[in-house]
Amino acid sequence: MSETTPAGAIHDIGYRRYEGPRLGASYIRRSLFLETLRGSFGLGRSARSKIMPNLMFGVLVLLAVVLGLVAGYFGMSELPMGYEEFVFSMQVPITIFLASQAPVAVSRDLRFKIAPLYFSRPLSRPQYVQARYAGMAAALFVLTAVPLTLLLAGALLAELPWREQLPDYVRSIAGAAVAALVLAGVGLVIAAMTPRRGLGVAAVAGTLLVLSGLQGTVRALAEEFGDAAFAGYAGLISPFSLVDGVMAVPLGAESVMATPPEGFVMGAVFCAVAALLVVGCYGSLLLRYRKALR
Amino acid sequence: MELPESLIRTDALTKRFGSVTAVEELTLDVRPGITGLVGANGAGKSTLLKILLGLLPATAGSASVLTLDVATQGPAIRERVGYMPEHDCLPPDVSATEFVVHMARMSGLPTTSARERAADTLRHVGLYEERYRPMGGYSTGMRQRVKLAQALVHDPALVLLDEPTNGLDPAGRDDMLELIRRIGTEFGISLIVTSHLLRELERVSDGIVVIDGGRLLRHSTTASVTAETAVVTVEVTEEPAELHDRLVADGLAVRREGVLLHVEVEGHEAYDLVRDAVADLGLGLVRLERQRHRMTEIFTDATARGEVHV
Amino acid sequence: MSTLELEQVSRWFGNVVAVNDVTMHLGPGVTGLLGPNGAGKSTLINMMAGFLPPSAGTVTLDGRPLQHDPEIYRDLGLVPEREEMYDAVSGWDFVLANARLHKLPDPKTAARRAIDTVEMAEAEDRDIRTYSKGMKQRIKMATAIVHDPTVLLLDEPFNGMDPRQRLHLMDLLHRLGDEGRTILFSSHILEEVEQVAGRIEVVVAGRHAASGDFREIRRLMTQRPHQYTIRSSNDRALAAAVIGEAGTSGVELVTDASGDEIVQVQATDFSAFVHALPRLASRHGIRLLEVRPADESLESVFSYLVAR
Repeated sequence: MSETTPAGAIHDIGYRRYEGPRLGASYIRRSLFLETLRGSFGLGRSARSKIMPNLMFGVLVLLAVVLGLVAGYFGMSELPMGYEEFVFSMQVPITIFLASQAPVAVSRDLRFKIAPLYFSRPLSRPQYVQARYAGMAAALFVLTAVPLTLLLAGALLAELPWREQLPDYVRSIAGAAVAALVLAGVGLVIAAMTPRRGLGVAAVAGTLLVLSGLQGTVRALAEEFGDAAFAGYAGLISPFSLVDGVMAVPLGAESVMATPPEGFVMGAVFCAVAALLVVGCYGSLLLRYRKALR
Repeated sequence: MELPESLIRTDALTKRFGSVTAVEELTLDVRPGITGLVGANGAGKSTLLKILLGLLPATAGSASVLTLDVATQGPAIRERVGYMPEHDCLPPDVSATEFVVHMARMSGLPTTSARERAADTLRHVGLYEERYRPMGGYSTGMRQRVKLAQALVHDPALVLLDEPTNGLDPAGRDDMLELIRRIGTEFGISLIVTSHLLRELERVSDGIVVIDGGRLLRHSTTASVTAETAVVTVEVTEEPAELHDRLVADGLAVRREGVLLHVEVEGHEAYDLVRDAVADLGLGLVRLERQRHRMTEIFTDATARGEVHV
Repeated sequence: MSTLELEQVSRWFGNVVAVNDVTMHLGPGVTGLLGPNGAGKSTLINMMAGFLPPSAGTVTLDGRPLQHDPEIYRDLGLVPEREEMYDAVSGWDFVLANARLHKLPDPKTAARRAIDTVEMAEAEDRDIRTYSKGMKQRIKMATAIVHDPTVLLLDEPFNGMDPRQRLHLMDLLHRLGDEGRTILFSSHILEEVEQVAGRIEVVVAGRHAASGDFREIRRLMTQRPHQYTIRSSNDRALAAAVIGEAGTSGVELVTDASGDEIVQVQATDFSAFVHALPRLASRHGIRLLEVRPADESLESVFSYLVAR
């Protein structure tokens, strides 16, 4: 016995209420974090926006692979470039990556006044800033940690002793994390102060390059005058050398500099400055977004 | 779905910024429905909206939205409230779909639900194929629709619309007002609509709240503010002098205003007198209309009573 | 007295024709210049103010051409749309400076009068940067009338004004118009124009689409049938009677938004219908409670003109 099917039916496609789950602020923050992270590599955005970040990523990856291959091919006893040295030498691509992506994370919302739409939702201002900051930092971490890991793989494939490689590697990963936090903070704050797109990119890149150059000059002058301590403190000027300093003393890594910070006091100063910088950048972003509330 | 009994309740709500008082001793009880919010340009209205969203702490007094306290339950309020800002707030390089999905997730909807709701909401506001294009190329009308969609996508119980017809041409305004009316009646969502254009609020809102200098000037239903007067306006195709005299002779009180005659009407018999007078004199009846009060009278009356400062 | 005349005026910017063959005569009183965004209103006003020469045609004030005649600025006042003003000056100083620039014989009295007219005396000593948008607008107006011009041009003056500010400005314009000045203001918001202007001039895409009282314009739109809404004591009987008339093309019984029953009539012959209606109602003993042209609003006139 078959059911009589209706000759026709008009379905109700009027407005439906939403009875589903409303996941709270933590979910939202995580969601925004992931979007910021993915967005920094152009994922979920236009094809054109994928070029720059992935180009920089490619450069670092390529270099890491090449170093590993060279070590293997020539049967070297150690990597042509150490892990710490690798990150420091890659300042330029890392800076370009940060300069091009920090405005995307932060300036857009300010420039196009989208911020009020975020804040009229369950996410609080601190949570918003946390998500953006963490996202940018995570992106920078991926940018440096992946090549470092490839470098380790290359070293191991070149049959370099893992007992030597592993501690250096671990230290450099820790350094990469610190670098990610410090650089993300600086980049985001500069980008948030300069909402116009082109300006943000130039401002971030310019600032980091100038600081780097300044650091180099001051250090060189100090070394000329034979003041190793002063030269050591010069490292505070640029974020990259700051991270190098943090790695050198507390983490015991081999510094890239000729005159690294030495001793407990200097080490403490470097760590304190790094920590303050991160906290300060977070606070600045909070303030900047307070203005943005419509 | 039941609408909450109280939409917005404030009790002697006050907000001061240093020496400037933006909101002063505001006591309101707004019922569900579509409510117009009118006020002078200046701190009052926007400050009030921020306080209601739990984004700004009050200096004194209290307020609740959907029975939630603004001081302690801000995030819960923002989960259930939508906001459509007055200014431009759309990034140009992203499509409407992407944007609304993102905003849905920012309201706490899981991804799949966010996609479904975004698609549905965009349809309800009238965006079809355009939704896949980057928003940079959208017209003002389309932009306003996207702004509205992101305010609705998480199925709020209340939506705050700040000057929703801003920048739209007359046809666009009509469409937006129609949409607002639909949302308020068919979708069962309560709305607060800010506007300077009182005619539009007369068309769309059930009630009106007027704030001036941070204080409550008036809170009434639209019906009571636009009630009928005792005057009927008559307009004929010819010069009205003859008709005027005839109606006076019939015993009616008539005032002339250019081509219009305003007739005081007590009982319905007056209508017949007018009709017959027009027919007898062989005139063409263009208009026979009971005058209603207008919302602007709130302002003219208040100014006359010295309640508002000029 | 003070007649502003545009004769076949056009203005182009490269390939863009902002104003296309416009002929307009503006006399004393308040006239509203109405048109969608981008219709050429600002360009027209700039030409009327003498800031922009027409590419073709002439703009004259009482017969004198505006070009190359600085004296003309004694009789013209312009309140532009843009907001930028000297921030760090007080309102009084700004208006006084304008009065002096006009080389008025008694600048202080003129400034005093202008500021009092716009009711800004209380705030005149404060810097302009502390003013709200509405106050800035009023100071702009003061500078535009300080030299007592016979012609006053305002570009989108009601933009963003709240109801109270709007009432104020409307009142002010009416007063100035009653004094015999020729006043033109532009707008794309019909609600504003309806309340202020006796005459309207409609521009659409650079063309002059219509002028006059909007009701008159509606009546001249003979190609479009008129729609009427009628409430009566016996809708059906009325409908039957009305459709029997030659000037009617359609009749519909409708329940409107508030649940009331109304009769909607499409009349092809406006005059025949309006004369027949009271006759028919009287003869059949039907009480007419409301007779309203449904499509006579400025909006309807406007959308028709824009669509042509």
